[in-house]
Amino acid sequence: MENLVYIALFAPLVGSLFAALFGMQKKNAITGIVTSMLLFISFVASAILFNHVMTVGPVHVRMMDWIMAGDMLIPFGFLVDQVSVTMMTVVTLVSTVVHIYSNGYMDHDKSFNRFFSYLSAFVFSMMVLVMSDNFLGLFIGWEGVGVCSWLLIGFWYHKEDVSREVNPSISPSWAANEAFIMNRIADLGMLIGIFILYWNIGSLQYDVVFAALPNLSDGILVAAAVALFIGAMGKSAQFPLHTWLTDAMEGPTPVSALIHAATMVTAGVFLVIRANPLYSMEAVHWVSYFIASLGTFVAIFAASMALVNRDLKRIIAFSTLSQLGYMFAAAGLGAYWIALFHLAAHAFFKALLFLGAGNVMHAMDGELDIFKMGGLKKVMRWTYLYMGLASLALSGIGIAGIGFAGYFSKDAIIETAFNEHTYILWVILVVTAGLTAFYSFRQVFLTFHGNERYHEIGAHPHEMYTYVLIGMSPLAILAVIAGFFQDWFEHFVTALLPEYHMSEHTHHLSWILGLIVIAFAVGGIVLAYVKYNRGLKRNEKLEHSFVYKLLANQYYIPILYEKIFSQPYAALSKFSWAVLDQKVVDATVDGIGHIIKSTGDNTRKIQTGNLSDYLRWMAGGALLLVVIAFVAFKLSQGAN
Amino acid sequence: MDGILTVLLFFPLLAGLLGFVVNKDSIRAYGIAVASIEFLLSLWLWMSFDVSHAGFQFVENIPLVSDFGISYYVGVDGISLFIIIMATLMTLIGIVALNIKKDVKNMIITLLFLEVAMVGVFISLDAIIFYLFWEFSLVPMLYIIGAWGGERRLYAAVKFFLYTFAGSLIMLIGMLYVAYVYHSVSGSWSFAITDWYALILPLDVEKWLFWAFFLGFAIKVPMFPFHTWLPYAHGQAPTVGSVILAAVLLKMGTYGFVRFSLPMFPDASVLYITPVAILAIIMIIYTAMVAYAQEDMKQTIAYSSVSHMGVIIIGTFAMNAEGITGSIFLMLSHGIVSGALFLLVGSIYDRRHTKLMSEFGGLASVMPKYAVIYGIMLMASVGLPLTIGFVGEYLSLAGFYKISPVMTALAGTSIILGAVYMLNLYKRSFFGPVTNEANKKLNDLDGKELAALVPLVLIVIWLGVYPKPVLVPIDNSVRALTSFMHEKAQTKTAKATILVSKKNKEMK
Amino acid sequence: MIGLSHYLILSGILFSIGLIGVLRRKNLLMLFFATEIMLNAANIAFAAISSHYHDMAGQMFAFFVIAVAASEVAVGLGLLVILYKKYGTLDLDMYTVMRG
Repeated sequence: MENLVYIALFAPLVGSLFAALFGMQKKNAITGIVTSMLLFISFVASAILFNHVMTVGPVHVRMMDWIMAGDMLIPFGFLVDQVSVTMMTVVTLVSTVVHIYSNGYMDHDKSFNRFFSYLSAFVFSMMVLVMSDNFLGLFIGWEGVGVCSWLLIGFWYHKEDVSREVNPSISPSWAANEAFIMNRIADLGMLIGIFILYWNIGSLQYDVVFAALPNLSDGILVAAAVALFIGAMGKSAQFPLHTWLTDAMEGPTPVSALIHAATMVTAGVFLVIRANPLYSMEAVHWVSYFIASLGTFVAIFAASMALVNRDLKRIIAFSTLSQLGYMFAAAGLGAYWIALFHLAAHAFFKALLFLGAGNVMHAMDGELDIFKMGGLKKVMRWTYLYMGLASLALSGIGIAGIGFAGYFSKDAIIETAFNEHTYILWVILVVTAGLTAFYSFRQVFLTFHGNERYHEIGAHPHEMYTYVLIGMSPLAILAVIAGFFQDWFEHFVTALLPEYHMSEHTHHLSWILGLIVIAFAVGGIVLAYVKYNRGLKRNEKLEHSFVYKLLANQYYIPILYEKIFSQPYAALSKFSWAVLDQKVVDATVDGIGHIIKSTGDNTRKIQTGNLSDYLRWMAGGALLLVVIAFVAFKLSQGAN
Repeated sequence: MDGILTVLLFFPLLAGLLGFVVNKDSIRAYGIAVASIEFLLSLWLWMSFDVSHAGFQFVENIPLVSDFGISYYVGVDGISLFIIIMATLMTLIGIVALNIKKDVKNMIITLLFLEVAMVGVFISLDAIIFYLFWEFSLVPMLYIIGAWGGERRLYAAVKFFLYTFAGSLIMLIGMLYVAYVYHSVSGSWSFAITDWYALILPLDVEKWLFWAFFLGFAIKVPMFPFHTWLPYAHGQAPTVGSVILAAVLLKMGTYGFVRFSLPMFPDASVLYITPVAILAIIMIIYTAMVAYAQEDMKQTIAYSSVSHMGVIIIGTFAMNAEGITGSIFLMLSHGIVSGALFLLVGSIYDRRHTKLMSEFGGLASVMPKYAVIYGIMLMASVGLPLTIGFVGEYLSLAGFYKISPVMTALAGTSIILGAVYMLNLYKRSFFGPVTNEANKKLNDLDGKELAALVPLVLIVIWLGVYPKPVLVPIDNSVRALTSFMHEKAQTKTAKATILVSKKNKEMK
Repeated sequence: MIGLSHYLILSGILFSIGLIGVLRRKNLLMLFFATEIMLNAANIAFAAISSHYHDMAGQMFAFFVIAVAASEVAVGLGLLVILYKKYGTLDLDMYTVMRG
């Protein structure tokens, strides 16, 4: 089994290095094929491990020591248990599909090889993140995915910076830097969390840490929980560190599907699930409640912004943000397995949605404005089907135990909110479900139904390559059927994660609760249908209203950040350099130098070259010495 | 085996003197050969180094002025071993990458003399010998900046020399005073630092001496507010000068803290953690901001050096093995990474004769290899895990957390601010369209440059993934150091603050 | 009775005369004379104190000073002759060659 662990982990790295060999050359189809094959191997290994964990139990391997200093010993150790193997399987499955997809999507790009190198490197980092058996190992993956995300968002680095009005993300390289720096802010929190754990427990291994938690004081537990959650907030783009995620859509679409929907952004949720013994402690109860509240807030906050957006990918990005909010709500309320389940289900349908959007973008020559599309279902049948299915899954459509993946996972989260008597959260989550359905289908209808507006911009849409469409099918199937594995999955992961049962009361009411949710979801779809099925009718008055503008500009938060953080920081930096450093610190140093120099310059005049002047100085000096000696003598006598 | 340190010290000296008679055309090959042999010698030192032994090894002690206890007393332990190897490596890399046209012969001989000084500083166990090499290192650097520098080279060279010289004079007075105290206590003169370690000083004397040594080291590091000589020196120095300056010469200051301040004045060191840490934090945040405001690529990297040195100081004053080991490892990683970054800036300067970021843009399209290596070094500089930069930074901050969580959080902003100015630099120079005509036909890195840079890239990744061979000897010596400090400390707070690691407690 | 203090006062007066001579005179030859006066002032003090304390060291020193003064005059006068030949004057203010 040990070898399988290493195969699952290192196959993507081998692929990445292989592709890197061709990184600076022209497109070479073999890089795409080899990396995809290796990922498939990794997926197979993960699947076998999944079976092994299910039948036999977790696998724990220790490769070698990494850092050892003082009493700190950090190994490269890998833990394959119920949680990590679930993540591994999901990650490798989605990655394999995305790799196959990218073979088609990127085929005209001159940096084809480089793309695959980065993409596989990302998968490797993600695998390190989920498989590591200690917090610092997780941090390696954590930073690794950050860098790969930086590389991939800024993949088309040659594009120029433009103003925010033209492109809200300014440029790929700008968006990449924004993502990296925002994540770094959160990473500092995570590092502090790691320090807290190390100095209070003396180890960073999960098992040691979790075993030692009951001995820690409440203050330390709270500090550790908060610090680690700050880390999770950055990676999972929770408010107020959320702006990078939508800007990250500047990256190629497969990247958005893999990194910014299915895998990397869920790392924060994964961290909370992984550290569930910490977050379930009685002492950190209010931190968990805060996590749930923040998640709920982000769910509706992001959904509201998606309502009015015109950019196909940004709508899906907002929906990702919103769904991450759901996951945090579940994790914060203690339903860790439900959060993990929604994470997996979401990975499937969201990746599918993004890849579908990629097809549309490919067909429309890079155009993303849904106001300029319409009627695409005639030319893109399969994409329409896929995106339709994914949207149904995202909206959580289903009834009486039969439905799409999202129906099972999202309903469970909403039910949890009810079960925990957090009715405010419950109401918000139900409303958000309605909003989700509305914006998902607004997008579907505007893209695929109604009049063919794309003629105006002279586009000639065409369906994606067949092998790409076939490659996407596993995701489509899973988006439909994943929900049926709910009970089986619960049984599997609750071997490790705490069980979560609905109370009798909730259980009795569950059909009513389900009906309410489905009513909201269907209501959202119907509303979208009525409004957009026939085509785009723009409402000028609405578009100029304050609320609409507020939502379209993301509550003006990006501009606000620029005004209160970026610009003052730049101004303060300039001030530090031009004034403080040059005019104060350095001027002081030079001033001391000048004083010494001018003293020399002035006293130099003594050196007249005239012997009689020298003699006078000498006599004066001798006299002075005599006087000093005399005074000192008198003083010393006086002292005695 | 005995005498290897003497060979290591005098070989470049003799080779440098011989260099005067070497033919001008073959001086380059000669320089590379000498530096390679010296580097191999230092590797041999590592091979024959007894990893399990924490104290000084290869010790040689020959009295020079026995009446005053001055002797040729040298030796290495885990702390100095790798800094010596780095010094020989960076000299070799510097000579390989050398691309000046004027007076190549003088440059190579100067570099060899500089190597003598650097090796001398790190192997000396006698304060007078240490001081001699410490000051001697200024002369070749003065010459390098003054003779091959940019427009304001004389100003920069003189500033560098006088500033550091003034600081070290105060340190010299401190040294003489320690020797005087030693004489009045024991009745004989000695400048051997092992003797000084055993000397228990009165607390108020310790406090004064701490600041005397501090001034000498702090200017060298350079700590805020004594840092202003550095940007000028870097801005004006030729590439090889910047490489050696950043990689090795700055490390003398931080090495001095570990070698002198901590073991000699444990109580004062603990007492003054807060003021020193505040200076270091100002240095981290403030110089990171100044780095962000720079237009000149090389100035950005120069200020980033200062910022990173702040983290090293933080680690040194963590008073536990984690932090001090981390700070020493960070010295190595900072040496390698900043050396490589200066080499990279030098490459582009040779092509375009400018270092202003606004002149570039889109370099990644024109010079992909250059962009890749730059990118790797940049990631190492911002402390990405699995590169060399992470290990030291992480350990330093982790160690200091024990002293003060709040100050650690402030110092930790280095990972954010570092990303801000480095990514800004990278974006402005490498990303975006190629707007400047002059950049459209730039050549990518040539063989000579790759020969210098690729080994550094390999080290950056090797020591990031597997730092154990380097960490273990350092850690051994550092753990011995902390338990010694704990023993020696007189005040209760100092005893409580200086942590002895569990492994050393078991040994007793 | 002529006591020690009288000798010392005489010595002091002579020394002051010599010192003023050194400071005021511009002719090198005169400077030489003035220094001789100062040396002799010192000699008087040496001899007087020596006899007061019955210690021969002071008188020995006085002889030593006389010997030094003699050789100094010998060498110094030689230099003066060369200087005069070179510059045609012995005025101090004419020799301001080394200006700072």
